[in-house]
Amino acid sequence: MNILIAIGGKEYSKPTLDLGMKIANAFEATTTIAYVGKKISQFSEKDVSVVHQNLDNRELYRPGVRTLEWAYDFLESKRYIKKDNSVAFNDHLLIDEENSRMRVLLKGSHSNKIDLILRTGEIIDQLRSEVATSNHDITIIGGGGNKGMHHKLVQFIDSSVMVVKNYSVNKKYRILLPVNNSMGSNKAIQIAEKFAKSKKLPIEIITVLENKSSDEKLRTILRKTEQKFTNAGIKNTATILEGDPVQAVVKYAKDDSLVMLGVSPKNPFLKYFFGSKPISIAQQCNCPVLIAK
Amino acid sequence: MLSFLNLLNKFGAMNESYKIISSSMLYWFSQKKWFVFSVMLAIFLLNLSTPIGLTVAGYHSLIILLMVFILVTFEPIPFPAIALLTLVLQVLLGVAPPDVVAESFMNDAVLFVMGSLMFAIAIVHQGLDIRLAKIIIGIFGRSKRLFLGGLMTISAILSSFLGEHTIIAIMLPIGLSVIKNIDTKQTDGKNAVLLTLFSVAYGTIIGSIGTPSGGARNVIMINYLQEFSSINIDYWEWMKHAYPILIVQLVVAYFVLQFAFPTTLKNIQIKGYKKKIAKSNTRDNINHLFSSIIILLIIISWFLFNEELGLGIIALCGALIFMICGMVSWEVINKNTNWGVILLFAATISLGFQINETGASSWLVTKFNALLALMPESSFDISWSFMAILTGLTANFFTSSATISLLGPMAIELQPSDISFALSAAIASGFSFLTVISSPTAMILYSTGLVSTKTFFKVGLLMFTSSIAILYLMSKFYWVTL
Repeated sequence: MNILIAIGGKEYSKPTLDLGMKIANAFEATTTIAYVGKKISQFSEKDVSVVHQNLDNRELYRPGVRTLEWAYDFLESKRYIKKDNSVAFNDHLLIDEENSRMRVLLKGSHSNKIDLILRTGEIIDQLRSEVATSNHDITIIGGGGNKGMHHKLVQFIDSSVMVVKNYSVNKKYRILLPVNNSMGSNKAIQIAEKFAKSKKLPIEIITVLENKSSDEKLRTILRKTEQKFTNAGIKNTATILEGDPVQAVVKYAKDDSLVMLGVSPKNPFLKYFFGSKPISIAQQCNCPVLIAK
Repeated sequence: MLSFLNLLNKFGAMNESYKIISSSMLYWFSQKKWFVFSVMLAIFLLNLSTPIGLTVAGYHSLIILLMVFILVTFEPIPFPAIALLTLVLQVLLGVAPPDVVAESFMNDAVLFVMGSLMFAIAIVHQGLDIRLAKIIIGIFGRSKRLFLGGLMTISAILSSFLGEHTIIAIMLPIGLSVIKNIDTKQTDGKNAVLLTLFSVAYGTIIGSIGTPSGGARNVIMINYLQEFSSINIDYWEWMKHAYPILIVQLVVAYFVLQFAFPTTLKNIQIKGYKKKIAKSNTRDNINHLFSSIIILLIIISWFLFNEELGLGIIALCGALIFMICGMVSWEVINKNTNWGVILLFAATISLGFQINETGASSWLVTKFNALLALMPESSFDISWSFMAILTGLTANFFTSSATISLLGPMAIELQPSDISFALSAAIASGFSFLTVISSPTAMILYSTGLVSTKTFFKVGLLMFTSSIAILYLMSKFYWVTL
């Protein structure tokens, strides 16, 4: 499994990095930590590139490398990777792999499960390319961007997307798993099961009854999911809610919830212009939300 | 409608490949929406009747101009594609025949853009920053404020001759070395960082107005003046007009920055930097000596032979000498030259010529003058202010050279016999203080991640307003004495 963690400013990225690494460890996944630098106008892109080359020659870190260094130190301090005294960030090597993508290589041996990537450009475009390059299964990003950006991420990135909002490293979390009869929901159930098992977290399974025609189907899915988790030895509860699905989930989710739900099976055109329930939930909830694809 | 959406939804839910295709189409649309919008707007305008007094070719040239503005501002397609589209549309929409378009595509201004970009790469490649840092510290190293003032002054002087994109690439590493390891969490440290970076950036931006070779826009305007008004401005003539403005602007910028970023400067480690660069051995670097000789030769040639040889050919000579001497390889130049920008400037200059030739610029000016006639105050001052502020603002969203290549003909048309309008427009377009996309310097500063767009705008607004005021006063009271 491949996981992509997109980071920005140092302070704001701590929760994203911490939760991202917890998920990566749970899945024993290869992790890419990507810093996407500011988009450069076409007028100045070559000038900026020349200046950055000059900075490299003068041993002045180009923008973004400091953030990746901080991320690497953070992972070491939290013991997500083993401390290795032979690895020093001062000896880093920047490998220009393709247009606007650079890999940071550290001298000496280090975990081959962590990739440090530096990209520049429009964030959606760059993350989309990164996912396409390394076939990531989950993309994890901070909740600081605007709502439109999260909508586009979910719509255009070919992986599950997690938006980390209001996450506290020290808080005890519980997984909130809204289920329905979509393919995405099945995927969300799989991810929740693995994560809960690894981190010993309880799961709250919920389903929202909108109309009578789908009532029985959803009740069955809820029962089956409950049974699945009980058999796997995961502490769980099952609740049936009624009303508008978005409002019901947003109201039910608390600050200590980790919402995991499936992507909408809706037509992409409709999603683009009118949004979808998972996107609205991710935008309105004040806690981390994972939309599984 | 609702049932259609439901049907669409059901179809989408059924077919996976349909979802993938429609997602790709949507992504393309979301990335290219400004291109689609510009094409639709152009089609709509083409279907309207031609405004009275304007030729069909002139009307079409203005439609292409509008398209170029949208495409360059929002960058939905690569610059070379915008350049090619501009050329193709000129022929397809009957603005000019193919031979005329091809002829207007290449001139001395385009050669200058090409030559100065290549020349800049050759210079930056020589690693002159350490030597320059030694000189600056030697002259201005007695105090930290003097050092920053010196950094700004030297940046301005060099940028006025060699262009801002060259000098920012050389001077920024010096600035960044001085502020390395400063803790930006504290206001004093943050202000020290911003003061240093802005001193370099404002120096290079202000310097670029000083001589024709300071920026491509200056050369483009000189070319337009020659073509449309038969007025020749040589290197020295331009300097006489622009350099006093540069000097006053530098003084104003120094105080604006001290006011905007109050700091004790105690975090800046000049002594540490002095020791560090003292260790680096530059004495034996023969390339530095040759580079300085070549640069001096080129600047002297711009002064002495610009009328005979043209500024573009002389700039090309600079790059050529560096290559012949083996001081820079073609691979380095090829890799780092922005060929897309060269193509775009060539195409916009070509369009600028057609806007003038088809009478579109005269038509716009007639309309503008009709508006001015309604004003009770001196129409000269109003039209001057309008032109200077319009070009200054447009350049901040559209970059200076592209602005001048498209608005230059109109600035000349406003007062064809008075060069103050054309010069003011070219100089005002160099006031790229408001947005980070306005110039290479601003974008490079922004790309360091240490300067936000908000900070750039806040300080820039003060600088932009004072620069327009300085330009007005100079054109009103100083230029008339020349």
